Amino acid sequence: MEYLHAEYLRTEELAAAIRLLQANGVPRRALELYSRRPVEAVTPLLPRRSRMSLGAVLSAIAVGTGVTALMYWIQLDYPLVTRGMPIVSGWATAVVTFEATMAGAVFGTLLMLLKESGLVLSRRRAPVPDLPDEGAVLQVACEAGLPAVRALLEDTGANRIEVVDSSA
Amino acid sequence: MDARPALAGGHRGFAPPTEESMQAVAAAPGKSAASVRDDILGRMPVTNPAYVAAVVSCSAVVAWAFFAWGYQVVGGFGHTGVRRPTYWGFYIVNFVFWIGISHAGTLISAILRLTGANWRKPVTRAAEAITVFCLMIGGMFPLIHIGRVWLFYWMIPYPNERLLWPNFRSPLFWDLTAILTYLCGSLIYLYLPLIPDLAELARRSTGAKRRLYLLLSLGWTGSDRQWQALERAMKLMSLVILAIAVSVHSVVAYDFSMSVVPTWHNTIFAPYFVVGAIFSGIAALVLVMAVLRKLMRLEDYLREIHFVNLGKLLVLMSLVWLYFTFSEHLTTWYGNLPGEIQVFNVREHGLYGFLFWTMIACNFAVPFVLVGISRLRSIFTIALSSAAVLLGMWIERFLIVVPSLSTPYLPAAWGDYAPSWVELSITAGTFAAMALLYLLFVKAFPIIAIWEYDDGVSAR
Repeated sequence: MEYLHAEYLRTEELAAAIRLLQANGVPRRALELYSRRPVEAVTPLLPRRSRMSLGAVLSAIAVGTGVTALMYWIQLDYPLVTRGMPIVSGWATAVVTFEATMAGAVFGTLLMLLKESGLVLSRRRAPVPDLPDEGAVLQVACEAGLPAVRALLEDTGANRIEVVDSSA
Repeated sequence: MDARPALAGGHRGFAPPTEESMQAVAAAPGKSAASVRDDILGRMPVTNPAYVAAVVSCSAVVAWAFFAWGYQVVGGFGHTGVRRPTYWGFYIVNFVFWIGISHAGTLISAILRLTGANWRKPVTRAAEAITVFCLMIGGMFPLIHIGRVWLFYWMIPYPNERLLWPNFRSPLFWDLTAILTYLCGSLIYLYLPLIPDLAELARRSTGAKRRLYLLLSLGWTGSDRQWQALERAMKLMSLVILAIAVSVHSVVAYDFSMSVVPTWHNTIFAPYFVVGAIFSGIAALVLVMAVLRKLMRLEDYLREIHFVNLGKLLVLMSLVWLYFTFSEHLTTWYGNLPGEIQVFNVREHGLYGFLFWTMIACNFAVPFVLVGISRLRSIFTIALSSAAVLLGMWIERFLIVVPSLSTPYLPAAWGDYAPSWVELSITAGTFAAMALLYLLFVKAFPIIAIWEYDDGVSAR
């Protein structure tokens, strides 16, 4: 597959280019942006569905529940002298339950970040452009119609446009 | 002149950026993002004789502390000043002190990140590093204090041959879980925003260094997908780490308040400890920033406004701390319970009276005068106040631990406590370890988050 890399120095031009491509039927999945810093002004144009919060909450619940169940089982398995207090007590184990829940949230967030950022388990094999000192590089995956996409981008104020093959 | 906005990240967080906050984050006017990047990376210390001398000096003190610990392990706990009735001494004081300071990173960084305070950008990484190093140092003290350190694994829940599980009701076990959770969370919280900077360092390095940075940056490419995921993760982590930070110092307070020692069995201890932790954390951050600013010539980045903002926070926390201290002491005095009033008297006008009033002077009078009065406020006086607060907070921890234990309910059991050379050596070693860890960290990683700062510069 061939990719088109267009370098922009200005937010407005970059946003206009993305809008133009989308208006001409280039799908969201064919677009990617590379930069040395986050370009939040363009983020609404390239929305991504995230399940990071859900992942963190589920992980927190799973680890918290698991550790609490372990403590419950251990306290029945090896009952301590509690001087009349209940053998199994929520008050006595609440702190450990809380910390385990938070640890679950931390590790859940980390795992979801690694997955959603593509740092691990990524199936995308697109060439990575050299990042400019200033500005950003818009990458367009062109299954067909590369000349048409190039023609669209040429009038959007791109600093530089180049075609890269996926084997590069 | 081209009035179009430069390609910029814009603002993150809940509050819109103000002109003042934008000015606060901007470095020398006219600098481009690329030059700021070059500048920050160019200020990472080089291996010159002064740097080597500092590392060797700190390493020598740390080595001496390890020797003292080894001496204690071989010869037994009798080599410390800890004996009946004062079973907790310098080690627990240091434990509470260092865990308290560790709040600098999370609370400063997470709160400011969530509230969108733009001036935080040059400050956050220094704060997050403090958290990790303080936890590493503070977490050592329970190991040192248990004496038979080789039996530490008994705390870990696993079914041994006699099915003796740890006691989940013990606040000491709560400590273990809380500190481990906090350490893991803080390490990840420090590491995540470091990833883009590690990729930047990999681009500029060669050989083994490049391979190491590439490995640590996990193949970061700077794609929008990665930026969006990082932003989301940092917001989530800020929320989670705040909850953990508050819980950790509450759990440290429970070590005291779950016991029936005079003045310890107290419901105010958890919030009192959290307030003290934030207070000492801010002071530590200011002091570290002042030292880094001088040594690494970061005057363009760590500017007066950062110190003034943190100084205002310091004065605010000083007042909150004073309120809590007053509430705790007033109820003890008014209750006039025989066991507690003895501790109160010893602490305020007895053996420890001098320390008590030094604590009040350091934690309230010094910051209130030097930072509170605007004519006296400068980077030097704010750093000086922070040093005083750190001293005062160490004394506060000492006054919580030692007078209560050395003055138990039965007068016949009263005793005293004086630290041995082993405890003094290990205490000195922890301060040297903090300096050493920082020296090594700033050598390998940029102390200012480049991409966040970059973002702020472009957003002017």
